[in-house]
Amino acid sequence: MQAYSYLARYLIHSVLLSYALLSFTLPSAASLLDVEAVGSGSTNQYSATQAPSGLLPVQQPGWKIVNYWSKTCAPCRLEIPELNLLKDELTGSNIQVLGVNFDEDDRATTLRLARRLKIDFPTLTLTEVEALGIEPPSALPTTYILSPTNEVLAKLVGLQTKASIYAKLAALRISH
Amino acid sequence: MTFIPPNKGYLSLTSEPQMSSFFMPCNLKTLFLRGRSKNVAIIFLKILATGWLLTALSAQAKEPQITLLPTPAIGQSSLSRLMTDSSGQVHLSWVTATGTSSALYYATLAGTTWGPANLIQEGNDWFVNWADFPYLAVTDAGRVAHWLQKSAEGTYDYDIKAVFFHQEMQAWGPPITIHKDGVSAEHGFVSMLPLSEGRSFITWLDGRNTKAPKAGPEHHPADQHNMGGGMTLRAAVFDRHGETLEEWALDELTCDCCNTSSAMTAAGPIVVYRDRTEKEIRDIVITRFVDSQWTEPKAVSKDNWEVAGCPVNGPAVAAQDQLTAVAWFTAKDNLPKVQLAISNDAGASFGQPILLEQGSTNGRVSIAMLDSGNIAVSWLHTNGANATLRVALYNPIGELLAKTNVAETKSSRRSGFPVMTHQDNDVYVTWTDISADSQIKIARIEFNL
Repeated sequence: MQAYSYLARYLIHSVLLSYALLSFTLPSAASLLDVEAVGSGSTNQYSATQAPSGLLPVQQPGWKIVNYWSKTCAPCRLEIPELNLLKDELTGSNIQVLGVNFDEDDRATTLRLARRLKIDFPTLTLTEVEALGIEPPSALPTTYILSPTNEVLAKLVGLQTKASIYAKLAALRISH
Repeated sequence: MTFIPPNKGYLSLTSEPQMSSFFMPCNLKTLFLRGRSKNVAIIFLKILATGWLLTALSAQAKEPQITLLPTPAIGQSSLSRLMTDSSGQVHLSWVTATGTSSALYYATLAGTTWGPANLIQEGNDWFVNWADFPYLAVTDAGRVAHWLQKSAEGTYDYDIKAVFFHQEMQAWGPPITIHKDGVSAEHGFVSMLPLSEGRSFITWLDGRNTKAPKAGPEHHPADQHNMGGGMTLRAAVFDRHGETLEEWALDELTCDCCNTSSAMTAAGPIVVYRDRTEKEIRDIVITRFVDSQWTEPKAVSKDNWEVAGCPVNGPAVAAQDQLTAVAWFTAKDNLPKVQLAISNDAGASFGQPILLEQGSTNGRVSIAMLDSGNIAVSWLHTNGANATLRVALYNPIGELLAKTNVAETKSSRRSGFPVMTHQDNDVYVTWTDISADSQIKIARIEFNL
């Protein structure tokens, strides 16, 4: 009987000791993935928050064609004339052509680049891009077609032409 | 051309990962299996065994210790990169912006503090880009660093400028252009490897053919993107003064704007980059310098990602002896993934890719191979505009040893590409914090395995 008592105590202590050791040394599955981070979170303040006057389009009704461009992206530069033509032809319709500087340069640089690239359609501020809620594209160039409620209806990756975008609008039964 | 990597006392790669000892006390088992308490005893023994087993396993899964180091960078700084030289010293390079001027600095780590910030070069005509940023390599007899400088002609054209540090004069030499094409085009996405005798191996994307006139009526897919030919990958070896010793064209059609990566194996240098086929498949490929020539580029993994654009998301490679590891981003069928592949024959063949994350990631991978042969990979886990810098550690046979979140950051491009290096078996990682002004962060991760 005494032997059983010793053994029972030994086992209980072993289990408790193992548990205690585990508590100190073995991270939980959650903590293995989500260790408290070093560094701080931040506000959503970006350096480019000033929208050009009259161009605050994200809350306007209508469909949107949103083109992500970059100064380093050759096909982006190639499709800009097509998008400019599209913007001209869609003026007065319920479809806007808008641009996003993928590189997120500061606003002054973005506007300077837009002028150099001869982009005639409005380039959104970072705040406006956030308001749209689009996931940044995985490749450039990418052009989104958004519904009036900013739902992504189409994601066109790669070089686009005026014709390819009109074709997509037609497929989506969006009249202009 | 022969490549002699700098001496480094690498550990043997043949040793198995350390396992904690685990044994069952047989005398207790024998004692318990007597009499009426047999069933109870078996249950207790199972509990005991489980406890010991978990304790033994916990020795492998200790939580990594993350220490935020002070930054040597002041002001509006970003584009930081870490590297380790052949003596094991860790160096940090970064760019500080002041008005329209940019300046490239570096500092060397001593313990947990950084030495003074050393100015390498500054200018008002730099091409500064979040994905294509300066490299510093420290050789056994000098240093080399690069930056991008706008060409005199062409609004979006830029050259790769480099300076070499002259040990004898204790000064940086005059800037040189590493590519000799003389074409005003896009050049960038550099990787560097230090070689022996102060030499350095440099790879870069070279847009010289994009400005070439179209040849004939046939319409190559590259024409559609670049007017002329496609983006090419080139490499060269430079002596300690910046003289080109040999140069190669490694690939005549690559992805336009993804960073390249290179490493030194026991069999020679290897270069890993994002390819581009005529059918717009943009998978990660490797080319190796074997028998004095570069092998045909071969896919690290046949992801078959067809994308008619540039992901701006290149691979990262690290090597030690024959062990080679590549991490990369892919997004076939719009499903973003970060993957890792390991080779035991210096990149000649790779095992099946290991999935590190899928869905919520925008890639931006970095990799470091520790002295133990363990492989650290970093990437960004995304949650809308927010992101988490994650680091995972794998052993040489691809088993996960640890995984940790290093810092909260932003998925914004302005957060840049985090870059890792190692010292012994510790990992160092740097990234840009854009919560206020751009600030460089550096953390040391001790895995305590």
